[in-house]
Amino acid sequence: MTQQTTTSLIQYAWQFVGSVNLRVKVLGIVLGMVVLLGLAVTYQVRVALSEELEEQLKDQGVSITRDLAARATDLILINDMYALHQLLEETVLNNRSVRYAFIVDPEHHILAHTFGEGFPANLLEANTVEPDSHHHATWLETTEGSIWDSAVPIFGGKAGFARVGLSDDRMRHAVNTVTGQLLLTTVMVSVFGIAAATVLTWVLTHPILTLVSAAESVAKGDLSPQVRRWANDEIGNLADAFNAMTEALRKAAQERAERDSLRAQYISGVIAAQEEERKRVARELHDGTGQLMTSLLAGLTALENASAEPSVREHAGELRRLVSLTLKEVRNLAVQLRPSALDDLGLPAAIEHYLAFCSRHYDLQINLTIHGLEESRLSAELETSIYRIVQEGLTNIARHAKATSVDVILKRRGKEVFVIIEDNGQGMAVNGYHKRVGGGLGLYGIRERAELLGGKMSIESEPGRGTSLFVVLPLEQPIPAASESLSAVPNTG
Amino acid sequence: MKRRLFLTFMIGCLGLLAAACASTPASPAIDLTDLRPLEPVADEGVIPLRIAVAAVLSPQGTLESYQPLLHYMSEQLNRPIELVQRRTYQEVNTLIEQGEVDVAFVCTGAYVAGAREFGMELLAAPQVNGEAVYYSYLIVPASSPVEDLADLRGATFAFTDPMSMTGYYYPSYLVHQLGDEPQTFFGRTFFTYSHDKAISAVAQGVADGAAVDSLVYDAAILQDPDLALQTRIIHRSDPFGIPPVVVNPDTRPQIKAEIQSLLLDLANTPDGLAALQILGFERFVTIQDSDYDTVRRVISSLEVTQTEEIQ
Repeated sequence: MTQQTTTSLIQYAWQFVGSVNLRVKVLGIVLGMVVLLGLAVTYQVRVALSEELEEQLKDQGVSITRDLAARATDLILINDMYALHQLLEETVLNNRSVRYAFIVDPEHHILAHTFGEGFPANLLEANTVEPDSHHHATWLETTEGSIWDSAVPIFGGKAGFARVGLSDDRMRHAVNTVTGQLLLTTVMVSVFGIAAATVLTWVLTHPILTLVSAAESVAKGDLSPQVRRWANDEIGNLADAFNAMTEALRKAAQERAERDSLRAQYISGVIAAQEEERKRVARELHDGTGQLMTSLLAGLTALENASAEPSVREHAGELRRLVSLTLKEVRNLAVQLRPSALDDLGLPAAIEHYLAFCSRHYDLQINLTIHGLEESRLSAELETSIYRIVQEGLTNIARHAKATSVDVILKRRGKEVFVIIEDNGQGMAVNGYHKRVGGGLGLYGIRERAELLGGKMSIESEPGRGTSLFVVLPLEQPIPAASESLSAVPNTG
Repeated sequence: MKRRLFLTFMIGCLGLLAAACASTPASPAIDLTDLRPLEPVADEGVIPLRIAVAAVLSPQGTLESYQPLLHYMSEQLNRPIELVQRRTYQEVNTLIEQGEVDVAFVCTGAYVAGAREFGMELLAAPQVNGEAVYYSYLIVPASSPVEDLADLRGATFAFTDPMSMTGYYYPSYLVHQLGDEPQTFFGRTFFTYSHDKAISAVAQGVADGAAVDSLVYDAAILQDPDLALQTRIIHRSDPFGIPPVVVNPDTRPQIKAEIQSLLLDLANTPDGLAALQILGFERFVTIQDSDYDTVRRVISSLEVTQTEEIQ
């Protein structure tokens, strides 16, 4: 139990000491030492001084009384009461600590005293001395504080006894004065100590605090700060090590940025080439294959009309319908590869067109909401990317979600475009989304595209509760190199 | 929170210190300002016999020397005795004249003056070495090269009492013999008002010379042989009548007779003898006024010179 208490106390103390900052620790040490030393010295001096002064007071009391007794002897014997009284008065005058002095005869009748009119009650009996002793002294408690009362026999008691009382007021005053001065000195040294410790801790902690703020900057990604080497000590070495570390980090970051940039260039190149290829194939399908099939269709119509043979006409008619169907398929394919509407009518129309197609083709209830995109057109890359994201999303839903209804929202707000695609399908485990699904790029491709444009993609989904896909894209591209490469690719490809 | 803890600790420390500073003793105290009138000393009813001893010796020396004798007398007379001392011979003479004291041990010079002024009466005188005489010694420090009084010209000289035969009149008389006045002959003079103090003054070199009572000097040498090494006698006077025991002329004859017989009988009892020995006396004897005529001559010669000077 006690051990537990001790342990917890130590823990608490360590927590206390550990939690305050270095400046407070150093200040605490300096202040603590000064105050402790000051108080200890003050106490020690006070005790020693009190003892010494008390001894002095006692010795002084006895010696004054003995001196008085010696000088009073003849005056008593020749009955010179006036001189005796003068002697007592002088004794009080010449010794500031003497509170009173008086002389009694051998029968303890008072011969002379310094009290003026009357004599204090109980004082005469308070201290006595044997005629054959050297002296007898004792502390008397009076209303004016402690009095050191000495009694000395005069001429072996044959002429009487001398009594002198010394007040310890001056002694106490001296002790208190010295104590006060020592405490004042302690306070002053404490103040000086605080000032010195403040400077010292500034000198000690400033380089460390500089390092801390530099490290925080590094943590936030700013690798530029270089820490000054303040002194040629451990902290100086730390500063050097820190600078070397940030330099290394900066190089590594630069290399990574270059690698990322190269990768982005590569991906955007690939995407651009893909788009270009799709455009070319679509144009080829539309202009080449489509024209040929239109001609074929015209030929078959002419053949059908020209032949009187019913079987020929029937076959020709069959072929014409077949060709017509194929032409339709080819045109759909061309649109899917690269909708001319995207180039000609803009993103909203192209999306509407595509979703209408999906609705028909996949038997889905699709609700489209477009907000803030009607007035001005976005950049070609952005429009293509958004179109492809929607296309990829819906293809995904059609393939895996088993959904019946899809909401598509395109929204421009500030300098960002939001693309939201929600379905009511079977959902999925979110942590698996980045895996390539069904051999296509899928969600992974969507994220790739979004990040390439400086945007972000997130997914909310639970099995059985549908899937929500959020994509945010900035209107202005963060990496000019990427957009340059996007437009540059067609020239090279 | 932590700061408050630290503050509490500091305040605690200061509190302890303050407690250490202010200790409060609690016991019945004497009030030094509560002054009560002193009770008058109760009268014992019996009137003590008041005996004065002139300051031949210092007051302490007198008390020590005369106490056994006074104690013995008190027992014999069955009456308390009060010892009265004064600084000067003149004061004692005044006490005798006014009847303030019953009996007095006075100096020779004081007796001569007292006898002349108010008829001071002789009661008895001590006897030393078989005679009731004493001398005046002229003493100097042992290391002093002084051979006689003439060598002390311009020196510091210690007189005992202005009424002392041996300590003042006789050395003044000697200076007169040299044709000078003490005031001009000596560089500086002062009065010690007792013979033992005059001896000490010479022994300690405070005075270059002094004239002292031979009885006191011999007793002092006996008591403290070192004094003999520190001082040297350069001159001894002719014998003078020894300091007597006197009474006021108006003292009742019965008391005079009682005390006289007690004094004369001292040597016959062991206790009385012991008391005498302490004083350095062999016995008390009767003495005549004429025994002091030599003294009178010395004094009158001085007074004549003084009168001449005044004229």
